[in-house]
Amino acid sequence: MSIELREPPDLAKGQGGIVARRAVVRWAVRLFRREWRQQLLVLSLLTVAVAATIWGASVITNAPLANPNWVKYGTAAALVKLPGSDPHLAADIASIEHRWGPADVIENQAIAAGTTQPVYLRAEDPRGHFDGPLVSLVSGSYPVGPGQVALTSQVASLYGTQVGGRWRAAGVTWRVTGIVEDPSQLVDEFALVTPGQVRNPSQVTMLLGRAAARLANAGLTLPGVPAATLAAPNENVGGLSQATLVLVAEVLGLAFIGLVSVASFSVMAQRRLRALGMLSAIGATDRNLRLVMISGGLVVGVAAALAGTAAGLAAWFAYVPTLQQATGHAVDAASLPWWAFGTGIGFAIATSVLASRRPAKTMAAVPVVTALSGRPAPQKAAHRSAVPGVIAFALGLACLAFTGGLAGAPGGEGRPPLFLVGGLVGVIAGIVLLAPLALSVLTAGSGQRMPVAIRIALRDLVRYRARSGAALAAATFAVFLATVTGLVGSERTANPLQPSGPNLSSSQLIVVAGRSPSPGMMIPLTSAEEASLSRRLNRLALSLHARHAVPMEHAAGLFEANVPPNDNFTGSFEVATPQLLATYGIKASQIAPHTDILTSRPGLAGLSHLEIIWQSGGNESDNNSQPASSRPCKLSADCLASPVMQTVNALPTGTSAPNTLITEYAVRKYHPQTHLDGWLIQAPAPLTAAQIRAARRVTLAYQAPLEIAAGGTNVGEITAVGTALGILIALGVLAACIGLIRSEAGRDLRTLTATGASPSTRRTITAATAAGIGLLGAVLGLAFAVVAYMAWAHADLAALFGDVPLTDLLILVAGLPLIAAAGGWLFAGREPPAISRQPIE
Amino acid sequence: MTVLELRGVSKTYGQEPAAVCALGGVDLSVRAGEMVAVMGPSGSGKSTLLTIAGSLEEPTSGEVLVCGLALAGMPRARKARLRRRAIGFVFQDFNLLPGLTAAENAALPLELDGVAVPKARAAALTALDSLGVADRAARFPDQLSGGERQRVAIARAVVGDRRLLLADEPSGALDSVNADEVMRLLHEACQRGVAAVVVTHDAQLAAWADRVVFLRDGRVSGQTAQPAGPESLLSPEGTR
Repeated sequence: MSIELREPPDLAKGQGGIVARRAVVRWAVRLFRREWRQQLLVLSLLTVAVAATIWGASVITNAPLANPNWVKYGTAAALVKLPGSDPHLAADIASIEHRWGPADVIENQAIAAGTTQPVYLRAEDPRGHFDGPLVSLVSGSYPVGPGQVALTSQVASLYGTQVGGRWRAAGVTWRVTGIVEDPSQLVDEFALVTPGQVRNPSQVTMLLGRAAARLANAGLTLPGVPAATLAAPNENVGGLSQATLVLVAEVLGLAFIGLVSVASFSVMAQRRLRALGMLSAIGATDRNLRLVMISGGLVVGVAAALAGTAAGLAAWFAYVPTLQQATGHAVDAASLPWWAFGTGIGFAIATSVLASRRPAKTMAAVPVVTALSGRPAPQKAAHRSAVPGVIAFALGLACLAFTGGLAGAPGGEGRPPLFLVGGLVGVIAGIVLLAPLALSVLTAGSGQRMPVAIRIALRDLVRYRARSGAALAAATFAVFLATVTGLVGSERTANPLQPSGPNLSSSQLIVVAGRSPSPGMMIPLTSAEEASLSRRLNRLALSLHARHAVPMEHAAGLFEANVPPNDNFTGSFEVATPQLLATYGIKASQIAPHTDILTSRPGLAGLSHLEIIWQSGGNESDNNSQPASSRPCKLSADCLASPVMQTVNALPTGTSAPNTLITEYAVRKYHPQTHLDGWLIQAPAPLTAAQIRAARRVTLAYQAPLEIAAGGTNVGEITAVGTALGILIALGVLAACIGLIRSEAGRDLRTLTATGASPSTRRTITAATAAGIGLLGAVLGLAFAVVAYMAWAHADLAALFGDVPLTDLLILVAGLPLIAAAGGWLFAGREPPAISRQPIE
Repeated sequence: MTVLELRGVSKTYGQEPAAVCALGGVDLSVRAGEMVAVMGPSGSGKSTLLTIAGSLEEPTSGEVLVCGLALAGMPRARKARLRRRAIGFVFQDFNLLPGLTAAENAALPLELDGVAVPKARAAALTALDSLGVADRAARFPDQLSGGERQRVAIARAVVGDRRLLLADEPSGALDSVNADEVMRLLHEACQRGVAAVVVTHDAQLAAWADRVVFLRDGRVSGQTAQPAGPESLLSPEGTR
């Protein structure tokens, strides 16, 4: 170069084009590779969100049977049942086959097996016309001739036999050729033999085609076969479709991904502020600066989508056995909603990119000198988002109200998918826009009376609203999700008379005090047999690490007046013996005087017109009690109306037994006859297959039915897992964002340190920052969830809180800020760097 | 040819009554090949002058011309283009971009301007070579010493057809040997036709400049007429 006159540079054109874009993208990718450890938390959160979406979509797709009618009908259009006692059984079968065939004939003969679930010897052609969903081969081969049998794994395990072994039942010794299952109903225990091998069928089922279905749908019977009962499946299976639920799961997952991304990219943008300033100083355009951030978003989105998909699929394959157990039907692990995966992954990447646009735009607008100095971007006025937030939330609520809850609105076919998804999108948008406004509340909490560290922390949250607002929105959404999970779970158990859920927990077993030589038949045990079985069960209990087998005494039934029998109280209603109460750690002093019923079912105590029907011999001994004529219960000697009830949370919840007990006080007062119903063994841990086999061997010797957990999802567990996940996710979001919010105020922290602030002051500032966002997020998330749920389920506040596990909600509201504060305190003791401004390299 | 011209430039931060006047009616012109050192106490407006001259900030009043082009009213994108093509910055704390090698850092302004990668890379290597750090071209900033980082930063500032070099305390984070070397390199760049404005606190380093401008409270309080030695700056007679 030489000193010479030169023309001014031509500034008329040239944006750098693809070369410039490639240069900044290269830098963004290099930054990700260099700083992936700093982004580990963000990546983990996004990965978890994608994995949860993948896993959730797989579970939702596979949890219900593809067709619920398969359980009973297979692929048949109609079903005929003939009793084993039909004197013209063979002729009737032949007649039906001839007139309405083709047909699959399934002959069942009940055999005793020592369980409450009957075991059948079943003659059936596994390659029939309609029974594909009802029988499948697990191992070995199907029986092909007389003397051959294929067992379900439970039956094989119960009788201690295997493929190639021998099995004696119904007076015949069979050779076991294979293991089979009923893929639509895994609890169906049977032994499959070839057609014609069941000598004394107790019932015959015939699966038929469409011709017979027309007859059944018209309410007609089969002409000429009076013994036959004809039925057709219900073609209109209600409820939300799987596709809708998958879509809902994706909307929720993606909303979370978006919120976490916005919060995280705000963090990253702030960290790179000076580097972006430098880039701008050497001539990068605003578009170049935005491209750096958006490229970062793309890289993070792709990495999280790949890792999340892998993790989600791994979690799915690991969960399949549990899901099979919970749903009671076979699950094809390879049957996955690939369309949902593709959409989810695509949306996750797009969400990540879109989420990086806002901080990118903000950073590009920061003056170069401000950026070079590392000062945070000036804050925007918060009131801008209030009106759109309110409108979005209100529209979301309106849409949710139209869907009409879990059952759907009457006459609302076609509404749920559209309105549910639209409602969720509206509510989430409302949360995102409204939550940051609540930060202003913290200003009120930062008055002069507060310690200086807390004052600084709360005021900084308000000052650096761009970052803290995004963090608050993400934490609020995490709590919203956890609360909604709990509330929807409670919706399923909202009927205190018939709560859904498994019969028992996996750590419980009940032995019925009776002999059941065949299904439906129950013969009382003799006193000697009772005593003998009790001793053996006590020994069994000790081997299961339970203290003893608790005798369960029956004295009465529980009903609600004016409720149809099918909708009335279900579950056991035993006497609250001291031994049973001690099993659940309930002391006599915890029971209020004159209490008749103890229950852990939420809302049961609030029901009116409940009546205890005495088994027999009940009679009031208290002459001062309310006169019988004033009660709805008319037979005063046989029943008690409006019993005094007490809710005791220590009793088991989420399962059907034993959660409602009649007190010894009521038994003493009304003198009903009591008898031994059975024994309960409450083990400290879930029972293993070997332990269950051992229990079955004991009960088989007495032909006493054994009841164990048989599928179903424990709602208590769902809400507990939902609460824990909500807290974990919210904590992850807080951890990702608190560091940044505090690093923005790093200069102040150095000043504080220089003026003599101790490590505990620094810890308090970070702890207060985390607790502030945690508390606000928990309260807002809870409030938004309650309002949205009330709109969706058309519930009122009193009914809502009657059903909801308040403990979980309290853990969320109090636990989240406490854990966040504790975490902040523990991780914030580090001395701030002495250099006031670190080089960006 | 005048590369940089400031006419009555003022800069006020904030609003009354808390307004702070960083610069008040500063006039300054720098010719091609001239190296001007700006000295003054803290808060005298040195860095503000530099950022205004480099189009990073708008003056409150006055006029700024770079290569004859008025910055007033110039759109952001055009200013960015001007910085890519005509202005180079050197900062006290180097400000190299992490994740890019020395060569990539030096080539960045050209690549941002759309120059093909091989051509930009060749120009960057030439610049690095002229500054004696060509053998460090493949290294990342955190693998370089302070002196090497600043040389790379200077290479990035002079690469291509740059006319104006603005350096804010370029030797502030270096030891005396490296500081002197950096000033020599800036001086060499000026000898090749680049106009330079260097903010420094160090009178000895300012001696490398053709002219020294003194700022106090945002105003030019004096300037040397001719290239001056360090000793001349220590006596009041050395200024006018």
